[in-house]
Amino acid sequence: MVAQNSRRDLLTASLILTLSLFPITEANSEGDALHTFRQSLSDPDNVLQSWDSTLVNPCTWFHITCNQHNQVTRLDLGNSNLSGHLVPELEKLEHLQYLELYKNKIQGTIPSELANLKSLISLDLYNNNLTGKIPSSLGKLKSLVFLRLNENRLTGPIPRELTAISSLKVVNVSGNDLCGTIPVEGPFEHIPLQNFENNLRLEGPELMGLASYDTNCT
Amino acid sequence: MSFAMKNLRFSLIIFTTLSCSLVASATISEANALLKWKSTFTNQKSSSKLSSWVDNTSFCTRWYGVSCNQEGSLIRLNLTDTAIEGTFQDFPFSSLPNLAYVDLSMNRFSGTIPPQFGSLSKLIYFDLSINQLTGEIPPELGNLRNLETLHLVENKLNGSIPSEIGLLTSLQELALYTNHLSGPIPSSIGNLTNLVNLYLFSNSISGSLPSEIGNLTNLVELCLDRNYLTGQIPPTFRKLKNLTLLNMFENNLSGKIPPEIGDMASLDSLSLSTNNLTGSIPSSLGNLKNLTILHLYLNQLSGVIPPELGNIESMIDLELSQNKLTGSVPDSFGNFTKLEFLYLRENKLSGPIPPGVANSPELTVLQLDTNNFTGFLPEICKGGKLQNLSLSDNHLEGPIPKSLRDCKSLVRAFFSGNGFNGDISEAFGIYPYLDVIDLSHNNFHGEISSNWAKSRKLGSLIMSNNNITGAIPPEIWNMAQLGKLDLSTNNLTGELPEAMGNLTGLLRLRLNGNQLSGRVPATISSLTNLESLDLSSNIFSSKIPETADSFYKIYELNLSRNKFDGRIPILSKLTQLSLLDLSHNQLDGEIPSQLSSLQSLDLLDLSHNNLSGLIPTSFKDMKALTYIDISYNNLEGPLPDTPAFQKAAADALEGNRGLCSNTPTQRLKPCPITTSWFKKSKKNDYIVVWILVPIVGALIILSICARTFTYYLGKRKLSIRNNSDSKNGEKYFR
Repeated sequence: MVAQNSRRDLLTASLILTLSLFPITEANSEGDALHTFRQSLSDPDNVLQSWDSTLVNPCTWFHITCNQHNQVTRLDLGNSNLSGHLVPELEKLEHLQYLELYKNKIQGTIPSELANLKSLISLDLYNNNLTGKIPSSLGKLKSLVFLRLNENRLTGPIPRELTAISSLKVVNVSGNDLCGTIPVEGPFEHIPLQNFENNLRLEGPELMGLASYDTNCT
Repeated sequence: MSFAMKNLRFSLIIFTTLSCSLVASATISEANALLKWKSTFTNQKSSSKLSSWVDNTSFCTRWYGVSCNQEGSLIRLNLTDTAIEGTFQDFPFSSLPNLAYVDLSMNRFSGTIPPQFGSLSKLIYFDLSINQLTGEIPPELGNLRNLETLHLVENKLNGSIPSEIGLLTSLQELALYTNHLSGPIPSSIGNLTNLVNLYLFSNSISGSLPSEIGNLTNLVELCLDRNYLTGQIPPTFRKLKNLTLLNMFENNLSGKIPPEIGDMASLDSLSLSTNNLTGSIPSSLGNLKNLTILHLYLNQLSGVIPPELGNIESMIDLELSQNKLTGSVPDSFGNFTKLEFLYLRENKLSGPIPPGVANSPELTVLQLDTNNFTGFLPEICKGGKLQNLSLSDNHLEGPIPKSLRDCKSLVRAFFSGNGFNGDISEAFGIYPYLDVIDLSHNNFHGEISSNWAKSRKLGSLIMSNNNITGAIPPEIWNMAQLGKLDLSTNNLTGELPEAMGNLTGLLRLRLNGNQLSGRVPATISSLTNLESLDLSSNIFSSKIPETADSFYKIYELNLSRNKFDGRIPILSKLTQLSLLDLSHNQLDGEIPSQLSSLQSLDLLDLSHNNLSGLIPTSFKDMKALTYIDISYNNLEGPLPDTPAFQKAAADALEGNRGLCSNTPTQRLKPCPITTSWFKKSKKNDYIVVWILVPIVGALIILSICARTFTYYLGKRKLSIRNNSDSKNGEKYFR
């Protein structure tokens, strides 16, 4: 009787297993990463309807642009009524140049893994509901030109690591809850002050040579 | 009754009472032990199923998940999916000697698996799956000689699989998948000769496959995929005569596929994809008469596809893509009658597509793209089930077969990058489920058929780079579901109707490189979802619609090489615009200063027009601008002080007689230091100042004079009145 029981248990167990056991049809790690992203989003307007992860690559999906090697270079989902959150898996899009997620209702934090998007030129997350800090790891984005994080609920300081990105031309962090001082070195020398406004706890430009800035701001 | 009999009856009564109470006390002590463990759970309230765990006398009868033997001792504990949050540290191992079945899966148990579980010597079924357990699998579990099923799946277990696992000689099913296990598969696993199912997938297991696995002759399913296994596939696998499922995809296996795999006669599904396997596909695989799934894609396999594979009548899903396979597709592939999926893409296959290969009446997906196939496309979609067809980037030629015109099942079709010819207005039919079709880079001629509009789910219609002529049929402009329309580089003529505004779903519109004429309708402003618009290299004329400022998502706008005239419209709202090319037109007037609002602009080409006036100084705010070309206009004045202009090459500036620059590297005349500099983009401001100041000044002077005058006038009147009225006595005082 015990043997019979265990045979029945094997069957019920294998029902759970069956789903994991099918070998995966040819797919693509960039498509998989985007699929994971899609699953963490709420998409009432069905803008992601074309995102079929069973396809060999995501290059025919809407709002995705690829280069001639079928690698994703642009993700254009601005103003698409999306909510949900970002996922670290986006780091797998190694050739991504433009990450356009502005004017949505995306919540949660900015994953520090986005720093691994080494080809990134534009990071547009403005007008969302993002919280948490600006990851200092973003200082690794050595090709970044646009960093627009305005109109969110980001806290913490503006990471000094960003001053090392010589390609940075447009930075906008206005309309957040950032604290500490405004960097003035490197690319930040030419960023107008209005791109930092509406951060009640931001103290103003960093006064070089004076000790202890960014007090009480961690 | 004799005294002895009375004695015996008495002692029997005593004995049964005693043993009943002993049994009762065993029940009670086990119940108490479990209650004590329950008290360590950290979410006492939320598990409603455990509300029955109160009265220790109803232990065997009423307690949820508890089953006892006839002596009232716990043999079976099933608490799957009971919302328990706790650990096993206080599990009453020594109090439950008869426990044979333990299922604690799908809860929120954390912490490690205590080695004391190994003391439950009667355990037959042990399941701790889908929890948050950490730490290593204790080697003491190897003491469970009666264990038939061990499930530890979906936890966070790490460390190696202990070699003591090889002591579980009764084991029939071992599932450790979806954990963080590392290290090698112990060779002692070969001792588990009763093993039927072995699931170790989705871990970080490394090292080579032990050849001892070949001793597991009762094995039916073996899943080692998604790990870091290296080395070769052992030829001893040929002994696994009962194996139906072999999944080893997504590892780092190397070497050749051993021909011995052909001896695994029960194999139904074989997946070795995404590894580093080399050499040829062994022809012995043709002996696997039960094979339905064969996945070898994403390896370094070379040589030809063995024709013996065509003998596998059961084949349903055959995927060999992304290898270095050469030669032709075997003719024997025409023998498949059950084939649904055939993926051969991204290889170096050549020769013709055999007429039979797409003959299977069940064929749903046929992916042959990125090879060197030549010749004509044979009749396909015979079974009327073909949904996904990819032939791109080959050397195919000739007409589209008639069977494709009637293939109503088509969903995705890619023909680009071949030499297909024929009249495109007749080659294709109406496809009720068609989502994407790409016919680009071929030799199609003729006109676009209005039938495309009847494929009501068509989202992407791409026909660029052919010899298509005639006008765009008006029906195309009713396809509101269209997301991508690319008809570029053909010979299309005619004008764009106002109805083009109906395509509100359009994300990408490419009509460049044709002979389209007339004005661009203002209704184009309805296409607010446009991300990319290219109308360049046509003969569009008249003004660029002002309404172009409504494309708020657009990143690429190319209207170059047309006959657009009039002024550049004010484009200030296109905050994402990265590329703006209006070159080679007949645009006149001045460059609107509002273009400086395009904060994302990277490339700006206004060359070869009739633009005049100064370059707006607001352009110094366009920080992201890297490439500009304003050559061959009538522009004058200084260059803005921004790197894009200061570093521009001479040919990006030439052909403007009035341009000047004080930067020596620019080969432009130096800018004169005259009042003409006051005529800046806000030149009106200065004019206003020079007009207002004198006017205001004059008014002030006039008002002073007026007051002084009226004052003295009043005084004189008063003195006259005073002289005449002094006798009357009334004096007027002010």
